[in-house]
Amino acid sequence: MNTSLYVPGNTPLHRLPAGAKFGVLFAAGIGLFLLAHPGVLGAAAAVAAVLVLSARAPLAALRARLLPVGVMLAVLFAATALLQDVPAAVVMLLRLAALILLALAVTLTTRPADLLEFFERLTAPLARVGVADPERISLGVSLVLRFVPEVFRRFQEIREAQAARGLKANPVALLVPLIVRTLKAADDVADAIDARCYPPPRRPSGGARTEENPT
Amino acid sequence: MNRPQERGITTRDVVLVALFAAIIVALGLVPPITVGIVPVPITLQTLGVMLAGAVLGPVRGALACGLVVLLTAVGLPVLAGGRGGLGVFAGPTGGYLVGWIPGALVTGLMVKYWAAKLTRGWAKAGAILAACVAGGIVVVYALGIPWLSVSSGLPLREAALGGMVFVPGDLIKAVAAALVAHGVARSYSMELK
Amino acid sequence: MTAPAGPAPGSAAEERPGAAEPPAPVIELQGVGVGYDGRTVLSGLDLRLAERRIGVIGQNGSGKSTLARLLNGLVVPDEGRVLVDGRDTRTEGRRVRSEVGFVFQNPDNQIVFPIVAEDMAFGLKNLGLPKKEIPGRVAGALESFGIGHLAERHSHLLSGGEKQLVALASVMVMRPRTVVFDEPTTLLDLRNRNRIRDAVDAMAPAAVVVTHDLELVSGYDRVLVVHDGGIAFDGAPGEAVAWYREHCS
Repeated sequence: MNTSLYVPGNTPLHRLPAGAKFGVLFAAGIGLFLLAHPGVLGAAAAVAAVLVLSARAPLAALRARLLPVGVMLAVLFAATALLQDVPAAVVMLLRLAALILLALAVTLTTRPADLLEFFERLTAPLARVGVADPERISLGVSLVLRFVPEVFRRFQEIREAQAARGLKANPVALLVPLIVRTLKAADDVADAIDARCYPPPRRPSGGARTEENPT
Repeated sequence: MNRPQERGITTRDVVLVALFAAIIVALGLVPPITVGIVPVPITLQTLGVMLAGAVLGPVRGALACGLVVLLTAVGLPVLAGGRGGLGVFAGPTGGYLVGWIPGALVTGLMVKYWAAKLTRGWAKAGAILAACVAGGIVVVYALGIPWLSVSSGLPLREAALGGMVFVPGDLIKAVAAALVAHGVARSYSMELK
Repeated sequence: MTAPAGPAPGSAAEERPGAAEPPAPVIELQGVGVGYDGRTVLSGLDLRLAERRIGVIGQNGSGKSTLARLLNGLVVPDEGRVLVDGRDTRTEGRRVRSEVGFVFQNPDNQIVFPIVAEDMAFGLKNLGLPKKEIPGRVAGALESFGIGHLAERHSHLLSGGEKQLVALASVMVMRPRTVVFDEPTTLLDLRNRNRIRDAVDAMAPAAVVVTHDLELVSGYDRVLVVHDGGIAFDGAPGEAVAWYREHCS
């Protein structure tokens, strides 16, 4: 799970800042929906495909990423061709292919940490008015990555224990103990985080840090 | 027992949100399960979305789903089948994923302000089921289907018809989610937030 | 009372076993009572803790875990107050926790980052340490426990004993003046239990160890027996263990 879809490398796309890549992708997303000319959309899809190839990702990784998308697009193409007409289906296919390939090019060449930092900067105005707290978001992200393997292990333990008692795999019987155990663990995890002096002192924006309120 | 806490979102809330997001991600790693008579194998991930709202409450449930959406966006393979990355949002199913956030919020609101106040067991379980259907299906589809329509160019009506294919599976998940949430509430009482 | 001398920044002395020992902070409980769900967990506690090695023993449910969490303000009392070098845990909890570290029973729930080095750095970031000083401090602390090779490993792939050592190192890297342990050896096999015992015995900060492991506290300066929500015995380890065996088995 801790392996991301990012493929390390040093291609021009890798060197481009995360914010620039995201900006281009976002603009392309809007632009592609304003265009309906099959020739232009086809050219865009071709450019996107070249960009994906320029990331020099292993072919096996590309196939794993693109196969499910291909199946989905094929189903959509057939549905659109039947319900509307073939030209509309071609426009849809080229437009989505271009957009999905562009997005893949960004995902393949951008470290998750860099994208996260970019999103943090994007939401900085929200953070300033107290709606989002980058400190908490990054703690939350780390906790998810830390606890996915633990949760999955617990899930398998419970399943094995139930199988040993001759019970069939039943999502309800599996999930109740899994969730109860996880909720109980949350108290300990929160204590462990507080015990190590979380949260960090605030940046010097309003003088001295305030202590937690007495309850 | 007194625990000194800051107002608003506490450390424990952050942990609950993150651990539930971890549950949603882990459910995507579980091989699809076939349930009884219905031949369609169901992945358990959207079950986790309904549960987030029903077990944690509206705000924390929506935040847990938001965290999974964020991890998807930064390129981690957190969705069922190892999917992830910005392409998910660009694709025709992006609306369903984004719809998880308001979906968990609505399920959480209905459980917190309605289901949790009922006393009779069957009434409570029924109300949780209604909350899971409203949030996990109605709200999620309300974003998913227009997104599918815009993204694919299909007229809204056709996109809606196509989306109906998944309703039987999602109804089964709503029943399972209601039973799980009811079971969890009986063995671990927690304030919904 | 001597003024609390904070650890000198930049020195690695506190992490090295056997190095100069900083004075233990004085922890005072004044008329402390704690309840939970309408049930009294602890009541009428008056204690002054200043020894370097203090053991706390007692049956399950006697309130010893709650007592441990009172010492660094994870739990604040319903009645009375807890002072660490004169600082009230109710109003200065975070400051108190920077001096009183805490090691939990289950390291699975204490290690909160996916990579060991990230977890070690977490506490230092919370203390506001400059970014460039963190890697050196982390490496030093891991080395002092003989687990430098674990720095880049995934937390969930560590063995039980390694996890407990990482949990201990992640607290020690913050250079607390005293460390509270809540049943640190309960989940460990004999070999790993001995490693933790030796690490606790050798470390520079003072320690308050809550445990079922009666042998662990045999060389300590003072042992408390918690029973029925109060301190039933307070004295030398031999007598405390004898009292506990006689009255609570």
